[in-house]
Amino acid sequence: MSDTPVSKRSRIADPGAAPSGHQAIEWARRRSPVLNDFVRKRITDGSLVGKRVAVVVHLEAKTAFLATVLADAGAHVVAAGSNPWSTRDDVAAALVDLGIEVHSTRGSTNEVWEADLLRVADTKPEYIIDDGGELTIRMARDRPDLYAELRGVSEETTTGVARLRALEDRGRLPMPVIAANDAALKHMFDNRYGTGQSTVQAVLALTNLAMPGKRLVVVGYGWVGRGIAEYASAMGARVTAVEVDPIRALEAHSNGHEVADLTTALETADIAITATGGIRAITTRHFDAMKPNVVLANAGHHDHEVDVPALARAADAVDDVRPGVTRYRLGRKSAYVLSEGALVNIAGGLGHPIEIMDLSFSVQALGCHHLASNDLSPGVHTFPGTLDREIARAKLESRGITLDHLDEDQTDTLSEILDADTFHAWGDS
Amino acid sequence: MTGSSGRSAMDFAAEFMPALQSATELVRDGGRLSGVRIGVSLVLEPKTACLVESLASLGANVSVLGTSNSTKEPVAEALRANGIAVFAEAGASPSRFTELHDAFIDTRPQLLADDGAATARRLHVERRDALVDLHGVSEETTSGVRPLRNMAAALELAVPCVAVNDARTKLLFDNLYGTGQSVVMALLDATNMQMQGKVVVVVGYGRVGRGISKVARGLGARVVVTEIDPVEALAAHHDGYAIAPIAEAVVNADFVITASGIAHSLTADHVAAMRDGAVVAVGGAGPPEFDPSMGAALEWGDEVRPNVRSLGVPGGPTVFVVSEGYCANTSAGEGNPIEIMDLSLALQLRALDYLTATDLSPGVHLLPREIDDEVAASRLRADGLAYDIATKAQIEARTNW
Repeated sequence: MSDTPVSKRSRIADPGAAPSGHQAIEWARRRSPVLNDFVRKRITDGSLVGKRVAVVVHLEAKTAFLATVLADAGAHVVAAGSNPWSTRDDVAAALVDLGIEVHSTRGSTNEVWEADLLRVADTKPEYIIDDGGELTIRMARDRPDLYAELRGVSEETTTGVARLRALEDRGRLPMPVIAANDAALKHMFDNRYGTGQSTVQAVLALTNLAMPGKRLVVVGYGWVGRGIAEYASAMGARVTAVEVDPIRALEAHSNGHEVADLTTALETADIAITATGGIRAITTRHFDAMKPNVVLANAGHHDHEVDVPALARAADAVDDVRPGVTRYRLGRKSAYVLSEGALVNIAGGLGHPIEIMDLSFSVQALGCHHLASNDLSPGVHTFPGTLDREIARAKLESRGITLDHLDEDQTDTLSEILDADTFHAWGDS
Repeated sequence: MTGSSGRSAMDFAAEFMPALQSATELVRDGGRLSGVRIGVSLVLEPKTACLVESLASLGANVSVLGTSNSTKEPVAEALRANGIAVFAEAGASPSRFTELHDAFIDTRPQLLADDGAATARRLHVERRDALVDLHGVSEETTSGVRPLRNMAAALELAVPCVAVNDARTKLLFDNLYGTGQSVVMALLDATNMQMQGKVVVVVGYGRVGRGISKVARGLGARVVVTEIDPVEALAAHHDGYAIAPIAEAVVNADFVITASGIAHSLTADHVAAMRDGAVVAVGGAGPPEFDPSMGAALEWGDEVRPNVRSLGVPGGPTVFVVSEGYCANTSAGEGNPIEIMDLSLALQLRALDYLTATDLSPGVHLLPREIDDEVAASRLRADGLAYDIATKAQIEARTNW
């Protein structure tokens, strides 16, 4: 570690903004019982002491609290945002104030953001808590020597896990990766409930529009799309799901949503939200079909799901009409894009609810701890199911909720069909 | 934000307010509001500003009052830039607000669009001098219609009042869907908390309470309703909610949201019984619907994040209050959604016109059903939605006995 003070090593917008950042982190702590208690105790066993851990997740209050818990467990934490638009400058300042190195400002250009990631890379992290694989893949590209020395990565998102598996398929993943996203406590809660609630919240807060009676299109019916569809529909919207996968399309249909191709769906859509995890989900060939005054927003990882550059090329005029709402005039009609097509719940809202991130970051913290305390082989590993269940139990306990248990005679076993001797002779597998 | 941001926010809102636009054209044909002095005493933000500009476009002399906790300054600025008299200062002290209120009354409104009967009451109590010019009032809310009816019953009401609130196109939409959505969203936006799995106590099961309960449940909460009216309590039970006396219900609550429209519905004694960390928000009427001065001694603490302040019981729990007990949706958010206010404000405009078109006696009057229907129909038309017209046989069947 360098002898330069943390404040000098960091790149943040305004150290003076720290007070409200501290308040926000304290509020997050108060609403994060699992991370603050169960996980804190579990990872404070010495295995993270002195370890260099990079945290590259949307840099706001919940992420900052995760960084402090890792630092309290003895890790040397360096943080940056996983997106040029999502950093809260006051929270970044508070982290530096707490002695954690940060390289991030809100609204930095892509170039500056990438330079920040490389500065994080140059601190030679041993472990990365990554989002979208943003730091990991840039180290693979721009810092191959340091990349080769990584001891492990715990990855947050569907998109990131897919990227890291692609690297593994090409023989370019020299370290173990924990697919934190694939933990039940992550994707079943964060992607569905977290993104569902916070996306609906952000769309309504940015526009001041009503949900009841709206025709809302969800592009992509994965976990994120399911959550958005569920909450929009609960609030009175009629939802149309757009899918390329027949099984997911059938699931959307079975959940009572309409299912259509995107061009057809856009003809009646008041609001369209992308949740594909891919890019250019809504692009040039769809613009003609859009209803006047449609609201377009993105809930997927990339900022390119709504093809904003193509929209800008097609538009006669572009202007900001409300904070976070940009109007594109296309002939006689207008389309309103929220948060410039960036992740609307984060760029245009407060991100996921705290209690959801308590679960997700518990998975990430235990994932990082698992990497540091076990000698895993290179490649993408699933998050241990036992840890998943322990987190769920801790969360239930924090709510004072008790579980039932099965008695011996309630268990369906082969031994009741086969005779006991045969059953035991076949042995346990 | 500046005046130009207020202007662009108003223009955006106007795009989603087809019913107000239809009502404006209809009233323009009558020509009755031209030259009339109209006072608008509503929450001052982009949607109501659209009503103000509609009235101005009809030739009315409009003056506007905005409260200190809900006024959006850029909007006030945009209205002033358009030559409209605005009496509003965000964050004005109570005494300063009284000054503004009196200056607003000094414009001698002939018609008044009121919210919570705030100005109508002042005119009847402290400012009877200006009451002589007043021709009629259109009242927006449940909590304003109630005192007006009480005044009428006591033979104190000097002018005709139209209960815009009681129109079906208002009550069934604004109170239910509008407030339901906007109060729950304001609470979640202010706290960044999750709704799934929360125990949410809703105090009062009128239209607002129903809307809040529905949205909270839709987002995954377990809702407990408290009521003083046995019929509404029974209705909540049939809608699948738990019912409990408020003193019991608050003990397990994560969120307590009041929607009673009645003062002293949630008090300090209730706060003292809450869990540490519970969040309180008001969705009905402002203070003292939540009355932290009644009962146990409480101490206000810091504003722990924007629009959230801690309130502690010495030696007991600390709870967090959204916007210090003012209506969460207008204080910690932008108020009800645009399309919902489109309906309410179209009704307001039609009510003001109705007051000039008819010679009503002092008292509280309902908006005629035709006007109610026309506003709803104008919105359906704008949305390209068709509905059925009753057949001759149906009309006959309905009137037979």
